[in-house]
Amino acid sequence: MDVILLAELAINGVFVGLMYALLAAGIVLIYKTSGIANLAQGALAMTGAYVVVMLAGGLGLSMWLAIPLAMAVMFLVGALIERVALRRMIGQPVIMVIMLTIGLEIFLRGLLPGLFGASVKRLDLGIPNAPLFLGDLLLSRALLIGGGVSLALIVLAILFFNSRLGVIMRAVSDNQTASWSVGIRVERAIAIAWGLSATMATTSGVLWGATQGVDWSLSLLLIKALAIAILGGLDSMVGVLIAGVLVGLAESMATGILDPIVGGGTRDVVASVIIVLTLLLRPHGLFGREHIERV
Amino acid sequence: MKLTRRKLVAGTALAALATQFPVRMALAQDKQVLFSFPQDFTKIYTFVTSEYSQGQRDYISLVNGRGGINGYKIVAEVSDHANDQPRAIEAYERAKSQGAVLIDPLSTPVARALVPRVLEDKINMITAFSGRSDAADGTVFPYVLPMSPNYWTQAGLLVDYFKQQDGGSLQGKTICFVHIDTPFGKEPLPIFENLAAREGFTFKAFPYTPPGNDQSAIWPQVRRARPDWTVFWGAAVGQTVALTEAVRNGLDMSRVSSSVWLSESDMDVVGRDQTVGVMKVEPCASGRDPKVIQDILAEVVGKGQGAGPEDKVGTSYYNYGVMMAALMLEGVRRATEIAPDGPVTGDWLNAGLTSITDFTAEGLIPPTTVTPEDHQGGGMGRIARWNGEKFEPATDWYQANQDVVWEQIHKYSAEFKATGK
Repeated sequence: MDVILLAELAINGVFVGLMYALLAAGIVLIYKTSGIANLAQGALAMTGAYVVVMLAGGLGLSMWLAIPLAMAVMFLVGALIERVALRRMIGQPVIMVIMLTIGLEIFLRGLLPGLFGASVKRLDLGIPNAPLFLGDLLLSRALLIGGGVSLALIVLAILFFNSRLGVIMRAVSDNQTASWSVGIRVERAIAIAWGLSATMATTSGVLWGATQGVDWSLSLLLIKALAIAILGGLDSMVGVLIAGVLVGLAESMATGILDPIVGGGTRDVVASVIIVLTLLLRPHGLFGREHIERV
Repeated sequence: MKLTRRKLVAGTALAALATQFPVRMALAQDKQVLFSFPQDFTKIYTFVTSEYSQGQRDYISLVNGRGGINGYKIVAEVSDHANDQPRAIEAYERAKSQGAVLIDPLSTPVARALVPRVLEDKINMITAFSGRSDAADGTVFPYVLPMSPNYWTQAGLLVDYFKQQDGGSLQGKTICFVHIDTPFGKEPLPIFENLAAREGFTFKAFPYTPPGNDQSAIWPQVRRARPDWTVFWGAAVGQTVALTEAVRNGLDMSRVSSSVWLSESDMDVVGRDQTVGVMKVEPCASGRDPKVIQDILAEVVGKGQGAGPEDKVGTSYYNYGVMMAALMLEGVRRATEIAPDGPVTGDWLNAGLTSITDFTAEGLIPPTTVTPEDHQGGGMGRIARWNGEKFEPATDWYQANQDVVWEQIHKYSAEFKATGK
């Protein structure tokens, strides 16, 4: 096996994994606050990217104005989803809430391409596509920058959970009734979590949109994000970071090593195998907290 | 107004129902020919359908606006099947009950599902750039008509062009084939493999998982295989990602090519300047220069009767739609000449479609001859290169390696005849 090729696949895999991890971090953010796995996170990333395309392409704003504006819009969208849909589900079984997020995913996946057209849209961040060689090793500038930005944002999210607001969110996650009793505005904390999660999804959508273009397929990132969140532990930001690297590496190496042997198609199998194995062997993931309920 | 859950559900149901109603393009006439165009506007083929359908509808408007064909007007029923087979079958049965004599589903899985029905009902099904490649064999598939170069032919054209460019020999060369890992993506494999054995080149295939939005681990392998020529074969986001990765991996764009599924909008996504030199197979001319496109601009779009945005007129996929509508209507013209008083049935139109001879749609398409035996129409196409603004023809219309292509067509059609699969 070609060592340079393996090194190239490994490096690309790590950075791709970090980009997946950013989306997974949004899932963890909501789970840590409200105990709900948001299965609409992929569609939120797609929505955020469409909003950027609309602001930059449709209204002619500069990309560097369109992106923060889209993040602000998506913060409101996230908070609105919590206010209009999720809050009405208080008291309903968790499975119904998860079903609601699946419904939201399907709704957005149909609505956005319908509104903005189904063809792939360009999202140009000005990252040159020209190859970047380190000796014989080729690195992708888009992946390096995307992975770097994702890493920085995930580290920020880890630090956020040690801030005052972050501690409030953790308290809400641990026990909503107890949080209410000490004066924490639980609904507000959850709404902020949804807003922040939608903002992270937008960043992820922009980074992936710059890599592949913007269309409905951005919502498929959910599967990778879910695999990472489950492997890392649904309530662990550090877990997301490490699991992202592991999943990215595993996918990339599987494509390079297993595809030529089995004839292709192993990339997506990796994510599903990781989800199944983690749930069977270590349901709380590598770094998640194990919840024991008294029955 | 307060949005209750009941209102939301009712609104969604209404919206879903609304998409089921077809758009009638011409008022019912005493003498009319009904076409059914249930296509995928909302799921997988979204990258092509709106432009393709726009081209079809504009061409039909052009002909109807000139009084129709020998006294017959064309009515086209357009609806959305969302690449969903039950919905497509429902649309087909509805069209059949209304007297449709032609259906164009523009979807490989839908076309495959409809083959037994159209053969039994004797309704002509158009499967341009989709469906079964072996449907070119009209003796086995009398009512399935691709009328365009199938994927095997496209692969054959590409290999022949590579050979021409390399001084008449591919001996010792390497061709890499990056394809979506679906039946559509795998379809040209036997042609490449056969031609590799015959021409002496090394053939390497690199499948990627659909839809192909991450191919970052595939292209480093392609680059390190040091290909003389690279062909990428997918659709929608898979195409733009493939091309982006080819650029990022420093491949020479003048030695990278694709099938018919590459358009101007793909170049916009990747970057018009970065993809100069990349090739595709053209089944018809692109752009607004062809006379028929000029006529549409003057007589349909210019009068505010266009079926879609004016800036899409003349794009590759728009022209594919015009091409197919022109062939269908030429079939109607021939049918009216063979049997001027009808009756308008699937067989009536089939006789017309299978007698199309050297038809060029006034220079839009290569000379196309459809016979009861050859439903492909001759298998002519050309190679075009992207120049940063548009696709420019790199060759004249030609056909190549049809012996290998027809070997495959006969092999698979015989299998269908024997097993029904």
